[in-house]
Amino acid sequence: MVGCLPLDSAYNNSAMSTQLELNIRRKGAMSGVLTIGSLDPAFAMAQEVEGGMAVLDLSAVEFVEPAGLCGLAALLEFLIPRSRLVGLRFSGHNVTAYLERMNFFKIFGHRVETNADVAALEERQRGNPGTLQELINFHSEEEIPGIINRISEILTNKDYWLRERAAICATLSEICANAVEHGHSPFGAYAAVQAYQHIVSGPRRGEREGEEVLVAIADGGVGVRETLSRNPEYAEHTGSDNGALRHALKMGVSGTGEVGRGGGLAVVGQIATRAGGSLSLRSGSGRVTYYGDRTNSRNVPDFPGAFVRVSLPRKAVSDPPPAVGKNKKAEV
Amino acid sequence: MAEEAQPRAHVVYDVVASGDAEGAGSKLMVTRGTGRRVREALGEVLEGLPGDGVLYVDTRGVELMDYSFADEALGILASRVAAGEYGDRRVVLVEEDRELLENIEASLRQRSLAMVRVDEPGAVPEIVGEVPEHLVETLDAIYDAGSITNADLAARLGLNHTACNNRATRLFKLGLIHRRKNTAAPGGRQYSYEGIA
Repeated sequence: MVGCLPLDSAYNNSAMSTQLELNIRRKGAMSGVLTIGSLDPAFAMAQEVEGGMAVLDLSAVEFVEPAGLCGLAALLEFLIPRSRLVGLRFSGHNVTAYLERMNFFKIFGHRVETNADVAALEERQRGNPGTLQELINFHSEEEIPGIINRISEILTNKDYWLRERAAICATLSEICANAVEHGHSPFGAYAAVQAYQHIVSGPRRGEREGEEVLVAIADGGVGVRETLSRNPEYAEHTGSDNGALRHALKMGVSGTGEVGRGGGLAVVGQIATRAGGSLSLRSGSGRVTYYGDRTNSRNVPDFPGAFVRVSLPRKAVSDPPPAVGKNKKAEV
Repeated sequence: MAEEAQPRAHVVYDVVASGDAEGAGSKLMVTRGTGRRVREALGEVLEGLPGDGVLYVDTRGVELMDYSFADEALGILASRVAAGEYGDRRVVLVEEDRELLENIEASLRQRSLAMVRVDEPGAVPEIVGEVPEHLVETLDAIYDAGSITNADLAARLGLNHTACNNRATRLFKLGLIHRRKNTAAPGGRQYSYEGIA
């Protein structure tokens, strides 16, 4: 692949440009995968870019998951207003072809410099069987029902059960609503959803083909800690980003403190863990992952805004749906 | 002695068929904005009912409802009914026992409220949401009887009249029962209570 000149010259001249690093694993199941964590060093260095050129070398990336895609979009939105030019370097065409199918170049192609031949990619046959939602940029709650209607139709055509469809759609709608409600983000929010075929773990480990649906959303708003800090009742939980993220997972916790608010994220956590998946939040220097029976947290480089990733494992299609749980209620 | 329940005006409102959500006939109820539109439409119908009328909110055609919609459309509606904004008019949810109820349940519990639910109009009423523990027995007794005076209810529950009246009044204010004043009762004022569905 022939690189375009501005990018190559910038790439080789450290005085002119900031080379943003990535943390791409070389071994194991996540080898070559662009995750949100892969972007940590780049987010840390992005804070120092002031008007110069910024180059992100993605040539070690072999695979992009929705979290990496939304994280990359948020990183670029952070970088573009701060840089004279943002360059993206790719190697091979699998990743660029995937990004093209996910509408990445439609959104960013004219805003960054890249060595990928975007025009040629656009002429290729499109189609990506696992894609449930390409990278989408939205700004208001009014756009969400349309997004949900579309993904619901795709899921129906792919023979997802109603309860799976409801879980995916409710997850997406709640976190989309959170992103635009609390965000006040200059770029709104980005979302992407992808289904992956893999081996489902369980009693007959390795015998069943299953699927995992990954939902990711990133916004560039004030972040979870500042939102919750508006409510003085939460003072003891908002001393750190991780403290605020852990508190945000609880039922009824919201910045406004209004009764009935702050249920969405708690419900998404229940949906994800009931499916055997997880809910990860990232905002400021906090990163919290909720698994139902435990919550992990650690400090990470600053994320400007809020990021949510939900994993919804889907059991083998041949398995019957689990029994519907009865609601607790008093008969009258 | 149980009394004859009074026939009351009621309207069944089909949330999907009404087309108040995004796009006519949409079966996907998501976001607070959509919930607000549906609640405003429900409020108008409720206000158009006679003073003690009952609005049956039929959500059976809904495929999915997120928490935000459930809270905005039904949680806030229930809280306004309980606050007396619609006088003695009442709301009953028409919905089967399925997962969709979980978000309605979660919203009502957050608000320490409950709604009466039926599988279909005329079916056995059940409760979704939160009824204070000490009121559950009183609620059961009123619905078992269909219609019952305070004196009879007190006798059935082994309570004095004041305690019984206080409990039933609380259920009335939560929007879960009807209350009627019997002025002809011996000794003056006495209330009768009835289920709303």
